[in-house]
Amino acid sequence: MGLLSYFRSARPKSAQVAKERLQILVAHERQMRDAPSYLPQMQRELLAVIRKYVHVNDDAISIQMEQDDNHEILEVNIVLPEDGAGRTKTPELRGN
Amino acid sequence: MPIVRLRSTDMMTVAAQLRRSVERAPEFFRRAPVVIDVSALPDEAEINLAYLLGQLQQMGMIPVALRGGGPALRELAAAQRLALLADAPVPETRVTETSSPPPPPSPPPPSKAMLVTQPVRSGQRIYARGSDLVVLAAVGYGAEIMADGHIHVYGTLRGRALAGVHGDKGCRIFCRDLQAELVSIAGHYRISEDLDEAVRGRTVQVYMRDTALIIEAF
Amino acid sequence: MARIIVVTSGKGGVGKTTTAASLAMGLALRGNRTAVIDFDVGLRNLDLIMGCERRVVYDFVNVINQEAHLRQALIRDKRCEDLYILPASQTRDKEALTKEGVGRVLEEMSEEFDYVICDSPAGIEKGAFLAMYYADDAIVVSNPEVSSVRDADRMIGILSSKSRRAELGEEPIKEHLLLTRYDPKRVERGEMLSVDDVLEILALPLLGVIPESQAVLNASNEGIPVILDEKSNAGQAYRDAVARYLGEDLPQRFIRPERKGLIGRLFGG
Repeated sequence: MGLLSYFRSARPKSAQVAKERLQILVAHERQMRDAPSYLPQMQRELLAVIRKYVHVNDDAISIQMEQDDNHEILEVNIVLPEDGAGRTKTPELRGN
Repeated sequence: MPIVRLRSTDMMTVAAQLRRSVERAPEFFRRAPVVIDVSALPDEAEINLAYLLGQLQQMGMIPVALRGGGPALRELAAAQRLALLADAPVPETRVTETSSPPPPPSPPPPSKAMLVTQPVRSGQRIYARGSDLVVLAAVGYGAEIMADGHIHVYGTLRGRALAGVHGDKGCRIFCRDLQAELVSIAGHYRISEDLDEAVRGRTVQVYMRDTALIIEAF
Repeated sequence: MARIIVVTSGKGGVGKTTTAASLAMGLALRGNRTAVIDFDVGLRNLDLIMGCERRVVYDFVNVINQEAHLRQALIRDKRCEDLYILPASQTRDKEALTKEGVGRVLEEMSEEFDYVICDSPAGIEKGAFLAMYYADDAIVVSNPEVSSVRDADRMIGILSSKSRRAELGEEPIKEHLLLTRYDPKRVERGEMLSVDDVLEILALPLLGVIPESQAVLNASNEGIPVILDEKSNAGQAYRDAVARYLGEDLPQRFIRPERKGLIGRLFGG
């Protein structure tokens, strides 16, 4: 490795960063694309219900639909706010 | 699809009026399918359908359907292989209307011209219904100004200007700086490409002389 | 029966209209009867890129509304007699397009032409939807840049699920990727996504790579599709893309920096 290329590789190239970000994003979006159309609405409604009891942010809930040959998995992930002790509860609901 | 709407049972008059319409825009009617609409006439009206069909065909049109009419007429039309349409009014695409003389009344005389003081920009469309239109500012590329009466533009005219859109050939367009994409009087139009270089950028008036559109610099 | 090709991207400003104009011209120059339609109602541009803006009388919306016949609205190109342009309306909005109306016009055009190219507006709203709905082929245009690639991927998803072919369960739209504004020097420096990077993410067959070129701006300034600029890299790259679309197997020509003599070779790595 020559001196020039040593300096060149000192930090990741922006194109490399771009590619990695895109790979993650596109994979995520493709997953969403195949998801049933009621998911966003369900996400909003769940959020509204949770907010009756706990104050959470808009991004505190994530919903994913996974599918394999025999069954679908609906994964709902809710992050509750940290309380005084700095604990984070992450109850996970899973159902088929 | 053009609709020939009959207001008269006098087929000679109707044919003469049609012929005038066709002469104005022969391309538009060439091999155009047309609907004959008699719904404005009483059911028992006697119409010489065979004569009308012959005339339409001679003018290059292809009669395809009949709208309205009494049982006798509809039977006759069916025998002539015309489609029979329900007796419902069709708005929109009517291009020619024939009636017994006198010709259709023009809209009531305008009380006042429509005045536009702001520039007319691309994508905007202004229509002075039943009146003249006076634009004090520029009319941009891709803008369209229309009037039933005359049009005056005191800024640069770069867009389209259509005067006499209801067929009044006596209307004129006046503009201080002609760069228009299209000017039209009563459906006779000229596009930018066909503008004489002698009038481009000049103060002009546009008017009809017989069947010719004249653009004249002052 | 014409082959209906949509040029689409999702993101704006990536070169859809430039591409639609050049592909249409390229197909027509090879003797195919070709029409190109501007679907960007309210923001028409194809007429400018094709240099026929002074000849527009009737437009696509007039034809859909049956206010004018197709043959009245089609503008015949002055440089190539097999090429026709159907401009968009500037004074209407995209609500003026209807699925039935567009279908009817495309059907009529199908009888007269070998290829009908639909220049899609940006976005994924009605105009873009209708531009791709009836397509047989899609040319997805992207720049080697994150937001453009992401939008292209989104568009590919829409093509495969919302088109008429998808709805009828027919053979899916044949998709091709065209990478535009490609700068091999910046790719080599690691500042721009490479062809391979984009192909890896989008996984579409590559129709061509159009290099970033001053010729594209010059061509649009003059209203001449850049494919007619035979000296320019971009013009040649579009010719290659047309040939590949028609089934020829050509190597990609403009994906590596041009070497400028010995000095360049020594220091270019």
